[in-house]
Amino acid sequence: MREGAQAVAKLVITLAVMVFFLFPVYWLVTTAFKPGSDWFRWPPMIIPQALTLDNFTGGGSGIYGGGGGTTAIENIVPYLRNSVVVALGTALISTFVAALAGYAISRFKIGGMPFVSWIISVRMLPPIAAALPLYVTFRLLHLLDTWWALILVHLTFTTPFAVWVLISFFNEIPRELDEAAFVDGATPFATFWRVVLPLSAPGLAAMMTLSFVQSWGEFLLALILTSTARAQTLPIYLGRYITGFRVAWGPLAAAGLVTMLPVVVFSLLMQRYLLRGLTFGAVKG
Amino acid sequence: MILPLVALLVGLSAYPFVYMLYMSAHTYNLAQWTPPRYVGTANFVQMARDSTMRASLVFTGLMAGIALPVELLLGLGLALLLRGVVGERVWRSLLLLPMMIPAVVAGIAWKMLYNFEFGPVNYALSKFGLERISWLGDFTAARIGLIIIDIWQWTPFVFLVLYAGLQNVPRDLVESATVDGAGGWAVTRFIELPFLAPLIWVVLIVRLIDILKLFDIVYMTTFGGPGSATHPLSFYIYKVGVSFGWDVGYGSALSMLLLAVITLLTNVLIRILHIDRLLELERA
Repeated sequence: MREGAQAVAKLVITLAVMVFFLFPVYWLVTTAFKPGSDWFRWPPMIIPQALTLDNFTGGGSGIYGGGGGTTAIENIVPYLRNSVVVALGTALISTFVAALAGYAISRFKIGGMPFVSWIISVRMLPPIAAALPLYVTFRLLHLLDTWWALILVHLTFTTPFAVWVLISFFNEIPRELDEAAFVDGATPFATFWRVVLPLSAPGLAAMMTLSFVQSWGEFLLALILTSTARAQTLPIYLGRYITGFRVAWGPLAAAGLVTMLPVVVFSLLMQRYLLRGLTFGAVKG
Repeated sequence: MILPLVALLVGLSAYPFVYMLYMSAHTYNLAQWTPPRYVGTANFVQMARDSTMRASLVFTGLMAGIALPVELLLGLGLALLLRGVVGERVWRSLLLLPMMIPAVVAGIAWKMLYNFEFGPVNYALSKFGLERISWLGDFTAARIGLIIIDIWQWTPFVFLVLYAGLQNVPRDLVESATVDGAGGWAVTRFIELPFLAPLIWVVLIVRLIDILKLFDIVYMTTFGGPGSATHPLSFYIYKVGVSFGWDVGYGSALSMLLLAVITLLTNVLIRILHIDRLLELERA
């Protein structure tokens, strides 16, 4: 009996804690579907009475009807495109570069401890510190406001992290397999490509997802290095609308929902592998 | 095979570092058409007298002093609580959300929650007969408001690391203690917590580094205000170096300070992690 009561108590506390962690998400999601008349209401509408898709389609007449571009998210498309290109590009390149380096470090101990320490310290570099010099440099190279500017800078924080996690993934693939391939006359690169890479597919997929997520949500560098719809990403699109005194919450929440959706879907799908990456590879005894 | 990585990191992080070192001893403003001028340590002297800079250190100190311990205790509590609760896996998945959602989106959500006139937070306060609070407009409230957001966003990270750590506590150790008559709390106190100690250090340092990098949430909610109540160092550098006039020289000097602190913390982190053992770097 005592155990039953304890289980109930645990569940009640868990639910209470969950309210704190999930309510902001709930509020964002419901606001995205509320009609204009319900964004500003006292008492606030905890449970929405009417649902609409106007915030997504831009059909709402609302208080902010017409002009200003704040009622609709229809002009979101170029930003969505930029985000997809930049995040995918970053994810693919960083995983490829990190896999090569991770394999070299795992098998041949290239650079050893000092090299790995350096890689980790790059990951810890505050983005703002690199932003100023990179702005000046990219201006000279005519890279400002391009996809490449963002892909390149995003690589600086996604790649070190991927290297770091992939080393331990590769360490777990039995060395005998490589050696067998060597004996059969394969070059190190062929061994890597044909033997090790296929075996570490889950790790690579996880790192690709995590790189994608990090690049997708990155704000500071995108803010400084891009200036138009040619290359600006979704977070910048959202940031523009937050400054007014009264913001059109519905469309903004809708755009926020679009921005977080891929991240949420990915992270739930890849959860098992992400946990390992997110916990920094640190839990390995 | 490490060549692409090295090229990337040297080009995009080592080079900016050298550039910044150079610029921190110069006056250089991108908004003016004058080339950089050497000024020695003038930028650092200015830094020592800069009251906004001091405010940013105070704010960072507050975050580290309040948000960090709360996150640690709450995260640990959650890790212990969620074991064996009904729906454990569902809760664990949902707890991923605050840390995975792009910070900018989280900023929008919290800006709505904190809204003075219509926000659910003030509504909840009114239910307890309390006055409305200008969460993002009042000096103290804005600081508390940001600390709450940080706790919301990063307690899940602490939880995840410690939760994963708890799974790794050797079962036989726990079992033999139970056989010897240790109760649930004694097991936690004398076996599990000591096992978690290194992870707690890791979490502390990673979070400290993150707090020093705080930017997106501040940009979306308070924009550093009111006054200089909520200026983390990163945000101040942004204001100096970009939004308030492209002062690259002084911005670089401020960045040097930020880098120095972060480098120190990173080195401690690397020590604690024992990366040579963790990554099996020593030759067999």
